[in-house]
Amino acid sequence: MAGPLAGLRVMDVSIIAAGPWVGALLAELGAEVIKVEPPAGDGTRWQPPQQGGMGAVYMAMNVNKRDITLDFKDPEGYKLGLELVKISDVFVHNFRGGAMDRLGLGWDVLKEINPRLIYCAVSGFGEVGPLAKEGSQDFIVQAASGFARCNGAPGDEMEQFRFTGFLDLAGASLAVQGILAALMERERSGLGQKVAVSMLEAALEMQATRLMEFFATGQNPRPMGSETPGIVPDRAFRAQDIDVFVSAQTPAQWRGFCAALDKPELAVDPRFASNPDRVKNRDALNAILEPIFATRPALWWMRVMERNGVPCSLAQHFEINRYHAQVRENGMIAEVDTPWGHVLLGGVPWHFSKTPCEVRSAPIPGEATEQIVGELKKRILETPQTPQGALAVDLAQKGKVQA
Amino acid sequence: MMLSGITIVDFSQGEAGALSALRLGDLGANVIKVETGEGDWTRQCPPFMPGSEISAVFFGLNRGKRGIAVGPNPGAAAPVLQKLVQRADALITDRTVQELAEVGLAAVEDDPCILYPRLVVANISGLGEKGPMASKPASELQAQAMAGYTRSLGVLGEPARRLGADVASVATAAFTTQAILAALYWRNRSGQGQKISLSLWNSLLSMKTIHLAAQSNPDRFEGPRCATANGPVLRGYKTADTPISFAMGGVVGKQGRPGWVPFCQELGMDALIGDPRFDGTGRHDTGLGANAIALKGEYEKYFVNIPSKVIVEKVRKYGGIASEFVKHDELFESEQAKALELERRVPDGRGGEARIYAFPAHFSRSVLEHKGVAPGLGEHTREVVLEFGITEAELDQAVRNGGLVVSE
Repeated sequence: MAGPLAGLRVMDVSIIAAGPWVGALLAELGAEVIKVEPPAGDGTRWQPPQQGGMGAVYMAMNVNKRDITLDFKDPEGYKLGLELVKISDVFVHNFRGGAMDRLGLGWDVLKEINPRLIYCAVSGFGEVGPLAKEGSQDFIVQAASGFARCNGAPGDEMEQFRFTGFLDLAGASLAVQGILAALMERERSGLGQKVAVSMLEAALEMQATRLMEFFATGQNPRPMGSETPGIVPDRAFRAQDIDVFVSAQTPAQWRGFCAALDKPELAVDPRFASNPDRVKNRDALNAILEPIFATRPALWWMRVMERNGVPCSLAQHFEINRYHAQVRENGMIAEVDTPWGHVLLGGVPWHFSKTPCEVRSAPIPGEATEQIVGELKKRILETPQTPQGALAVDLAQKGKVQA
Repeated sequence: MMLSGITIVDFSQGEAGALSALRLGDLGANVIKVETGEGDWTRQCPPFMPGSEISAVFFGLNRGKRGIAVGPNPGAAAPVLQKLVQRADALITDRTVQELAEVGLAAVEDDPCILYPRLVVANISGLGEKGPMASKPASELQAQAMAGYTRSLGVLGEPARRLGADVASVATAAFTTQAILAALYWRNRSGQGQKISLSLWNSLLSMKTIHLAAQSNPDRFEGPRCATANGPVLRGYKTADTPISFAMGGVVGKQGRPGWVPFCQELGMDALIGDPRFDGTGRHDTGLGANAIALKGEYEKYFVNIPSKVIVEKVRKYGGIASEFVKHDELFESEQAKALELERRVPDGRGGEARIYAFPAHFSRSVLEHKGVAPGLGEHTREVVLEFGITEAELDQAVRNGGLVVSE
C-alpha cells in the first residue's frame, strides 16, 4: 500500500517520542522515512516496559521507518548526513535549542544545502524565550501548560494524567499538521521553510475550548471531575453498579435524555429548558439526576439512552478494546509482527479511500545503515564538483573542527 | 497565505470538524460554515463573550468563517449546496448519511465520488463509519471513556473523572487537517479527490499507541505505561509554595545523563547520594522512574523548605527537566508566552477585540493571519451563494421554499 505522501523522503534525527512520532505519522502517510540514530542510540530502546528486549516506546514511535546509525560529530558521518539532507523533502529533529546548530545541522545551514527542505523542529517550550533551551517531557508540559490543572475531582488543585506521553504525541501531530501546510505551500513557491512546534503549544491546543472560556471570562480552568464547563448534562453517573458516561449536547438529545429517565417533567422545567439554563442550574439538576441513576444498573441506562438517541458508554480498557468488533472493523488498533514479537499499536487515524495507509513494524536499529550509507557514498562520488557537494565538503571540514 | 485559493466547506458542528476548519482558515483557506436548524449546538454553550450572547467556544472555533444557514426544508437547499460543494476543494462533515441526504449531499458518501471527482471529503464520526456501532452518537466524553483515558485519572472507587481538555475532539481536528492537506497534496499529483474517514474513538486509540505496545506482551509487567502502574507523581512534589514536576537522568542512550549528584549537593540533599534506594542518576527515582512515587516523600522532606522557582532552576542547571504547576493566567503573563506570541487579539465583531490562542506552529517564511468575528446564523448566506455562481433568482427560490435562511 502507498499513502498520499508516497514519493516523499523524510530524514528523522529525532529521539524519544515527540519527534519520532512525526516521522511515524509521515511514514504511515506513505513517505519514506529514514530514522538516523546517534551511536548512543535512541534511549527508548532500553526504556521499560520492553517486549522481546525492545522498548515499547521505540516500537510504537518508529513504525514504518528505515533506520541507520550516523555520528554527526565525525566528519565522515556529517558529510553523509548532509548528502541525505540534499535528497530529503523533510527534516525532523527534537533536540534542545542550540544542539542542532552545534552539530552543523541548523536551519541556516541546511536551507543552503537544500532550499526545498521543510525543516521541522519539535521542542519542549519553543525556540525563543527564556525556556528555549530547556528540555521537556509530557509530565513536565502537563504542569507548565495548565493541562493538569483542568483535571481532578471538584475542589482539587490539579491532577496529572497518568497516561504519559500524550502531549509528546500531541506535539508530533501538530508538527505533522505544520509540515503538511508547508508542503502545500511549497507546491506553489518551490521553497521549503522551517516549521517550529513546541509541546507547550500543543498542550494549549489540546485545551482549545478551555482557553476560549478562559479568554472570555478571565477565570482559570479548574478540575470538574467528569463534568465539563459548557454542557449539562455531560458526565459520568454512578449507576447501581458502575459508572455510565452520558452526554446531552443538543436539544433533541436533552429531550431524549428526559424520556430515557421517564422524567418528561424535566424537559419542560424552566430551570433546565436550554443548555445555558442547565449550566446555570447544574447543581440542582445533578441533585435530581444522581439518585435516579443509582436505582438501575448501568446496562439499563445504556439501553434506554440508546433507544432515545443519547450518547452513552461505559469505561473500557485494553483487553476490551483489542477484541472489540467496532475497533477491529474500523482498524483503530493495528496488529503488527515485529522482530520482537506480535505487538498491538495504534491504528492509523485517517482512513483514505484511494490512498490507504498501514502500520508496519519499527526497524531493527541500524538495519539499513549499510545500504543507505552505500548509496550516499555513491552519490558523493558521482557529484563531487557541484556547488552543493563542495559546500558539504566545506561544512564537513567545519564539523571536523567542531568535533 | 499558505492555503490561499483553497475553499473548505465546514458542514460540521461541535468541536472536531470546526477546529480543523478553523486551523485551515488560519492557514489561509476560505472557509464556509453550513449550519442547519437552530445552528451549531456550541452556540448554546456558556460562557458567553463579555456583554454578548455569543458563546466563547463558538466564537473561538468559528472566527473568520463565513456562515450560511439551511432552513426548515433542507431539500430545497440541495441545488445551492451541491453547487457549493462542486466548487469547493474540501468538505468537512460530521453529519449522518440521512442528514447528508436531506440536503442533497448523499453523493459525498460515494467512493469514488462521481459527482465531485476532485473533492476531498473528511467524514468525522464518534465511533467509526463502519461496524455495529457506526450509527451511534458519541461525544468527547464517550470517546475518552471508551478509549480508556478515564482509567488513567482518579482513584479506584471514587467517582470517575475525565480529562478537562477535550482531547478526543482536538486530536481528531488535527488528524482531519492532516488528512485534508495530505489528500490535497495527492490530488495535485493524481487529479483526484477522495474520502477520508476519521473518528474520535480512533483518534484516541491512535494516540494511545505507546500504551498499546506497552501492554501487548511485555517481558515484565512493570514500567511506565504498563497498565499505568508507574505514572508521574499525581499532584507533583510539594515545595515551599507551588508544586513542581521534575525528572533527572535524561533519556539519551542506555546510561542517561549525569547531574543528579551535584543537584542533590546544591540543595543540601547529600543524604540521598549514598542511599541505596536511589540509583545515582535520578533516572529511576524521578519523573516516570519505577521508584518515583515511592521515593517522592524523600525529596519532599527537603523541597518543602525551598521555593519552587529555586528547585526548578537547579534541576535545569544540572541537565534535568522541571516546571511548576502553572495556572493559565500566570502562563499567559509569562515571558515565555509573550516570546512565543501565544496570545493574539482579533476583532470580536462588536467593535472590540477578543483574545485568542495562536495557530500552534511557527513558520519561518509564511505569515499567518488570525481572523476574528464569528458568523451569525445565516449571516453570509446571500454573499456566499452569489459568489459561488448561484443567481439571485435561485437564491430567492431556495429562501422562499424554506431551503436557505438569509440573515443580514
